Amino acid sequence: MSIAALNSANLNAGQKVAVKYFTVAMVLFFAQCLFGMLAGLQYLQPDFLYNVLDFNVNRMVHINAMVVWMLFGFIGSVYWLVEDESGTELVGAKLANVNFWILTLAVTVVVLVYLFVQTGPGTKETIWFINEGREYIEAPRWADFGIVACVLIFFYNVAATFMKGKWSGISGVLVLDLVALAGLYLAGMFYTTNISMDQHWWWWVIHLWVEATWEVLVGCIMAWGLMKTLGARRKIVTTWLYIEVALMFGSGILGLGHHYFWIGTPEYWFTIGGFFSALEPIPLVAMVVHAVYDSGTHNFRNSNHPALAWLIAHAFGNFFGAGVWGFMHTLPQINLYTHGTQWTASHGHLAFFGAYATIIIAMIYIAVQKWRGDVWMSGDLADKGWKWKWSLGLLNVGVVGMTVALLISGYEQSFVERALEGSTWGGYFSAQTQPWFIQGMHWRMLFGWVTTAGVVLLLWDLATIGKKETRRAIDPTVTPATT
Amino acid sequence: MIDPVAISNILAAAVAGALVIMFGAIYALLFAFSRLKQRPVLMIWAYLAYAVLVVAVGVLSITLNMRGFWQAVAVVMVVGYFVAPRLIWNLCAGTHSTEPGDGLGTVRHS
Amino acid sequence: MADTPWWASEDVWRKWAIWVTAFMAVVLIFLTFDTVAKITAGGERVPGYDVINKRIFYTFNADRNMQEPVIGGDAPLFGKMLSAGEAEELVNLGKLTVQAKNCMNCHTLLGNGAYYAPDLTKAWLDPAWGAESVREQLMVSFLMDPATNARTYGTGRRMPQLDITEDEAKGIVAFLKWMSSIDTNGFPKGFTPIRQEESS
Ligand code: HEM
Ligand code: HEM
Ligand SMILES: [Fe+2]
Repeated sequence: MSIAALNSANLNAGQKVAVKYFTVAMVLFFAQCLFGMLAGLQYLQPDFLYNVLDFNVNRMVHINAMVVWMLFGFIGSVYWLVEDESGTELVGAKLANVNFWILTLAVTVVVLVYLFVQTGPGTKETIWFINEGREYIEAPRWADFGIVACVLIFFYNVAATFMKGKWSGISGVLVLDLVALAGLYLAGMFYTTNISMDQHWWWWVIHLWVEATWEVLVGCIMAWGLMKTLGARRKIVTTWLYIEVALMFGSGILGLGHHYFWIGTPEYWFTIGGFFSALEPIPLVAMVVHAVYDSGTHNFRNSNHPALAWLIAHAFGNFFGAGVWGFMHTLPQINLYTHGTQWTASHGHLAFFGAYATIIIAMIYIAVQKWRGDVWMSGDLADKGWKWKWSLGLLNVGVVGMTVALLISGYEQSFVERALEGSTWGGYFSAQTQPWFIQGMHWRMLFGWVTTAGVVLLLWDLATIGKKETRRAIDPTVTPATT
Repeated sequence: MIDPVAISNILAAAVAGALVIMFGAIYALLFAFSRLKQRPVLMIWAYLAYAVLVVAVGVLSITLNMRGFWQAVAVVMVVGYFVAPRLIWNLCAGTHSTEPGDGLGTVRHS
Repeated sequence: MADTPWWASEDVWRKWAIWVTAFMAVVLIFLTFDTVAKITAGGERVPGYDVINKRIFYTFNADRNMQEPVIGGDAPLFGKMLSAGEAEELVNLGKLTVQAKNCMNCHTLLGNGAYYAPDLTKAWLDPAWGAESVREQLMVSFLMDPATNARTYGTGRRMPQLDITEDEAKGIVAFLKWMSSIDTNGFPKGFTPIRQEESS
């Protein structure tokens, strides 16, 4: 086994597939930022690319690239840990490979059609072949079926591997959660004239993904990651995973109600949505406290510093993005002003980045380490690890900066458009031309550059970290007792 | 059913909402550290953090014009965010009690 | 070393995880049945599609402490009374077009979507479009050629040319009129619709 060169011989079959998913995920992360920058620029220069690549196209690619890279990151993470966790070989290595290429090809076709066909006539055919026109799940219907088929194959592969090898608490939760995650996608796969019905089911997909099933999925990854990087004990992480499932599903499932205030749904959702989303931050607080407790008892001795740093960023990002920023606008008394403003965008950025981008990046650092033959990734790296440190800093400062800028614009918008001007079109535009609003958009752009610089540096670092290293990683599971 | 926040209170309500969650977490962390490191001074800070939380819930319930059911939600927050951190701490200690060197009642030297 | 207390044991929490999840899921399913029934078109909160034959306006309901939609007398869209079937067909064409042209990645509908362009929930009643006698036609010509008919209010943001046909444009207007009759619990906040005398 060679050390420090990227060598697939260092990986098991599942991990060989995983690094492919990770690679595509990172390419799409870059694309996401690129198109986010174009869309952000159009706020400041509306004529930029007008009738060529309009705002709606750029924004669609921006958020679809995000959803797809995160799903790729999750699939990759599961393939990464499946052999280790089941104690046996992946049942369908070839199948997994073919599946990866089909899925990647389908994503490529979808994006090319978004960019070059963009829209179609008002017919069912457009929805089937070009674009479904529903935020986050714009992928045309043919691709929906393709995605579902690919996810089923993935699911078969994972479940069958656990079945052949051994089950654990983590893998049990993981597999059940994957079933729910895939099943929920079906709720977004039908057409209806009725916009209230449309949005009602649309939120089943979006909310029950990000505030329930995705959270539990990253909980599984985190549980496994804590065992690997900190040497945490299986019994403890499994118990905590169950605690998290209970708290997260206990609050998040009915928390769905915070999206049912204003879309035509009955008034009882005020009380249900308000009550349960007030509980939603509790599991996030629990995770922060437990993460700190856990790392405290292990004295931060760990084998992979960038991965641990990103896991910590995850704990805090999840807490602030989802917990603090989510709760701030969730009660109907205030959501009536903030609903559908830059305020929402502020929360969306911090939550998606903080909760999901971070942990996938952590997994990719873990993957790179092994890919290079368990190379040293603790302190005193050859170049002092400046690349990973700077990209961590730039990305976090960039996203937090954008979040704060959007919050200022959002406050201005809800105040002027909703509170003062009676929510008319005139009110909307008068808010959009307020100096504070426009300044917020400029700051967002500036921090967008910081974010983009962070992504570029991240990609460079992932491609090179440990390349010149000669030391082998420390094994956290055999370190001396922590007392 | 609801009485939306008054124009002049939007900002106060949003800040109060953020503070509730942030000081809930600060209280929880200080509480845990105080027990973990056997440092009773930290417990005073923990309760001060909780006091900020209570004030923030108060501001929230006034600015959001909470009445009836919503007042109950405010009470649940005050009680819930008092109890939850203690339960979380107990769970941390309880689940780790089989690990050497930490857990319920065990002193840690490090 | 101490034994794990029962309330912190893996077993107990596995059971909690299962029971809490199952309970919440069952409650959600019951609520979903009720909600779906209440938001089916033709109900009280979401009117049938032939509401586009009627005048739609808003009054303040002090009990609910919010504005609510009221369906008034005849006010046929494009001067033609439609049967329930025809109305549904027209609104449906509008909804299909809204999806096909990706409107929601600039605008919000019911407050969901993107924030680059104004909310469309009550666009049909917005003062910006003038009296009812002219608004239908104004909207149709705008949709068919937004570049020339742009109204940017000093932002410089223009709607792109989306190759919307006249039929599609009429469908969209019908869809917008129908959407404006949905009871959205007072969203958007304090909405000021066109003056009633102008719309009658
Ligand atoms: C990691 C978890 C979360 C993610 C990724 C996330 C993401 C998002 C996104 C992207 C939106 C905007 C959807 C749109 O485009 O219309 C949104 C809306 C919303 N989120 Fe979250 N969220 C998370 C957790 C939470 C939590 C825990 C709460 C409440 C405590 C919350 C409360 C809300 C509310 C109230 C809205 C509606 C905003 C509006 O009315 O416009 N979110 N969320
Ligand atoms: C590189 C810098 C970025 C820029 C300049 C940028 C810009 C934008 C813009 C202009 C929008 C459209 C908002 C609107 O409709 O008005 C948007 C939406 C969104 N972006 Fe970004 N973005 C960036 C990075 C990111 C990152 C890193 C994430 C998460 C990982 C992200 C997640 C989202 C989400 C979830 C939405 C939808 C929000 C909503 O509907 O409320 N963006 N972004
Ligand atoms: Fe949500």
